[in-house]
Amino acid sequence: MTSAVTTATPPRPTQPAPSGSRRSLTPAGVPYALLLPAFVLYALVVLYPTLSGALYAFTDWSGRADGTTFIGLENFAEILSDVAARSALRNSLIIAVTVTAVQTLVGLGLALVLHSSLVTRNVLRTLFFAPAMLPPVIIAFLWTFILTPQGPLNTVLRAVGLDFLAQNWLGESSLALWTVIGVVIWQNAGLTMVIYLAGLQGIPAELNESSELDGATWWQRTRLITVPLLIPATTVAMSLTLISSLKLFDQVFAMTGGGPGYSTETLSVIMYKEAFVSGRFGYSAAIALVLTMIVFAFAMVQLGALRRFEVDR
Amino acid sequence: MSPITSHSRFTPSRRALLLGGAGFGALTLAGCGGFVNDDGGGSGEESGSGSGGGTVTAYLSTEQNTGIEPLVEPFTADTGIELDIASVAVPDMNQQLPVQLSSGTAADLFRVSPGYSSNVAAGVLGSSGDLLDLSDAAWTGDIDDGTRALSDVDGKTYAFPVARNSLVLAYNLAVFAELGLEPPTTWPELLEVSQALTDSGRTAISHGLSGGAIYLQFYVYIFAGTLLYGPNPDLDAQMRAGETSFSDEPGWTEVFTKYLELRDKGFFTEGALGVPPDQAMQDLATGAAGMTVLTNSGLPALFEYSESGAEAFSIVAMPSSDDAGATLLPTAPDFLAVNAAAKNPDGARALLDFLAGPGNVETYANTLAVLPGLDVGAVVDNPSLEPVLPLVDEGRTVPYANYLWPNGDVQQTMLQSGQQLYADEITIPDLLAQMDAEYAKGTP
Repeated sequence: MTSAVTTATPPRPTQPAPSGSRRSLTPAGVPYALLLPAFVLYALVVLYPTLSGALYAFTDWSGRADGTTFIGLENFAEILSDVAARSALRNSLIIAVTVTAVQTLVGLGLALVLHSSLVTRNVLRTLFFAPAMLPPVIIAFLWTFILTPQGPLNTVLRAVGLDFLAQNWLGESSLALWTVIGVVIWQNAGLTMVIYLAGLQGIPAELNESSELDGATWWQRTRLITVPLLIPATTVAMSLTLISSLKLFDQVFAMTGGGPGYSTETLSVIMYKEAFVSGRFGYSAAIALVLTMIVFAFAMVQLGALRRFEVDR
Repeated sequence: MSPITSHSRFTPSRRALLLGGAGFGALTLAGCGGFVNDDGGGSGEESGSGSGGGTVTAYLSTEQNTGIEPLVEPFTADTGIELDIASVAVPDMNQQLPVQLSSGTAADLFRVSPGYSSNVAAGVLGSSGDLLDLSDAAWTGDIDDGTRALSDVDGKTYAFPVARNSLVLAYNLAVFAELGLEPPTTWPELLEVSQALTDSGRTAISHGLSGGAIYLQFYVYIFAGTLLYGPNPDLDAQMRAGETSFSDEPGWTEVFTKYLELRDKGFFTEGALGVPPDQAMQDLATGAAGMTVLTNSGLPALFEYSESGAEAFSIVAMPSSDDAGATLLPTAPDFLAVNAAAKNPDGARALLDFLAGPGNVETYANTLAVLPGLDVGAVVDNPSLEPVLPLVDEGRTVPYANYLWPNGDVQQTMLQSGQQLYADEITIPDLLAQMDAEYAKGTP
C-alpha cells in the first residue's frame, strides 16, 4: 500500500541548482567552524583547568612550577588515613543529608501553605525567598553577629525568660555544625519553596476538584494527588540541595573558619586550607577529585531513586 | 535583488569561517598570554630595567600600602621611577603569591613573612631561589641581629625590614582610673588587676577566638618570649637539631598552662570561642572589658572604636613572670623582598634604598604607629607607643616564637588544636604532640 502510494506520487519537479554562494553554506564543516570559537573558549576556561586539576591529584604539586612529581595514588591513600579529612567527610555528609531532608520538608511545607488563597501569600513568598537572593557570605556575617554569646539572639532569649536556650552557638564544638546547618536551611528554604510552588501550579485543578466532589479529605488529596505529582519538583529541589550542601564552603568559612577546632570543617574547607594555607595543591586536588566523585555518585543515586517514583499526569 | 543574492552577500565562505574561528582561537590564546605576561608590570623597556625611570610593580599588604603612601611621590620625584602598587590583606597575599610566583606574574617587589612562618616566608622563598639576593645593599648593616635571623638564609639577606610590630597589652584608661588600677608589670599583678576588673562586673581581658583563633597565638608568643626564649635564645637551634621538642621542653607546657590559667580564672571573654576578634576590641573600647592583647599595628583600628580615639587607651608589655625586669617585648619585622624574576630589579632595589633612609624609616613608622624596621636612629613620634619604647631601646625584644619553626603548619595546628585545648577537648600534651608532628615534617 505504501509502495503503491509512493509509486503514485508524481515525481517532484527538479529544483533549480542553487547558486554558487548558496552551495558554499551547505558543507558540513561550517557549523563546526561556527562552534569553534565557543569551544576554544570553553576548552580554555573549563576543560583544561578541570583536566589539569584531575591530573594534579596524582602529584605532589606545591603550587610552584618546579619540583612537581607524579606520586600515583599517595594523595588518595593519605586522604583515607587523614583524621582531618575523614572528619571533614563526615561533616560534609551530615550537612548534605540534614540540609537536603530538612530544607526539602520546610520548602514543601511553605509551598503548600502559600499555594492558597491567603491574602498575604505574595508578600510572604517574597519574604521567604529573599534570603536566597543574598550572597551566602553576607548572610554568614550577619548570622555570626546575631549568634555571638552576647548577641541579639541570646539577648532576646534571655529577655523573654528563655535563658536556658541561650547558647554559644558558634563557639561550642557540639553545636557549631548544627548552627551552620540551620543558617544554610534558613537561607535556602525559600528557593526550595519556589521550586515546589512551580510544581503545585502545574497540577491540574480538575484533579483536586473531582476528588473533592468524591469526598476526599485535604489530607487524602495531598497524599494521593499532590505529593505524587510533586515528585519531579522534589527531584529538582533535592538534587540541587544535595549538590550544593555537599560542597558547602562559604557559610562555613565565613562563620567558623572550620572551627572551633576542626568541628565544622567540610571537604571544601580542608581543600581550600591544604591548597592556600599549607601550599599542598596536589593533595588539595585529590580532595577535590574525591569530592567530585562523591557529589556525582550521590546525585546519580538520588536522581535514579526519585525518578522511579515519578508518575505521568 | 533576489533573496539568494542578498543572502550570499553576507555569508562568508567555509574557508573564511574556518580561518575566522582559528583566528579567534589564536586571539584568545594570545589574549591569555598577554594577560599573564603583562601583569608583571609591562615589558622590560616600559618598566625600565635599568636604574632611573621605568615602573616598579609592588604587591603590598594593606598596612604596608598605608605606610608607604606618603613616600610614593617623593620616591618618584627623586628617582623618576613610577610605582604601580596593588595591596591586599596578608592572608590573601599569602595565598596568592605562590601562584603568582609559579605562573611568572608576581610583582617586582612584594611582602614576605619572616623566617619560615608561612609558605611565602623569606626563609622558604629565599631557599627556593625566588628572591633576589640583597646582601650587597648598604642598609643590610642597619638590620639588628634578631631581624637578621629572619631575613637571611645561609648568610645572604633576602628581605628588607620595612617596620617592626610588637605584641602589647592595651588597657582602657577610664576603666583603670575608675577602679584605681595600675597597669600590671608582673604576672601576679596581672592576676590581681584581672581579678579587680572581674569583680567590677567587667571582662578582664577581652578575647575573641572565633574564625581562625589568631589571637590565641599572641599569648603563646608573649609567654614563650619571656619564659623560654629569654633564658634560652638557642631554643630554636636546639629544636631544629632535635635536642628538644615542644613536648620535651617543659617551658612550652608552662606557656599553655599560663594561658589556660587566665581562662580558668574567668578573666577572658565569656564564650571566647564564639566571639569575633573585632567584637573583643569593641568591648575594650566601650569599657565592657579592661584589657586586651593585640599588635601595635592594630592600635589604629582599636582607636576608631572609641570616640576619644587614642586618648582612651594605653599599652604596656604584657608580663609573664614574677620579675618585671625579665619581661621581653615580642616584635616582628614586616618584610619586603625583591622577586628574583623581577622585570625591574634595579628599580625595586632603588625603592628599598630609598625606604632605608633615616627620614623615610621615620615617616613610615610614624604613619603606621609601628617601630622602625632599621636601626638608623629614627625617632618614633607616636605617644601611644611610648610605654614600650624603653624596652625597645634596651634591646629587650624577642621575635615571635613561630618564625623559626620549619613550616607554617606548626602554627596552623597550634591555632586549630588550640581551640580544642581551650574547649578542654584535648590536653596540653596532646597539643604539643600534634605540634611536634608538624614540626617533624620540616621545611617544604
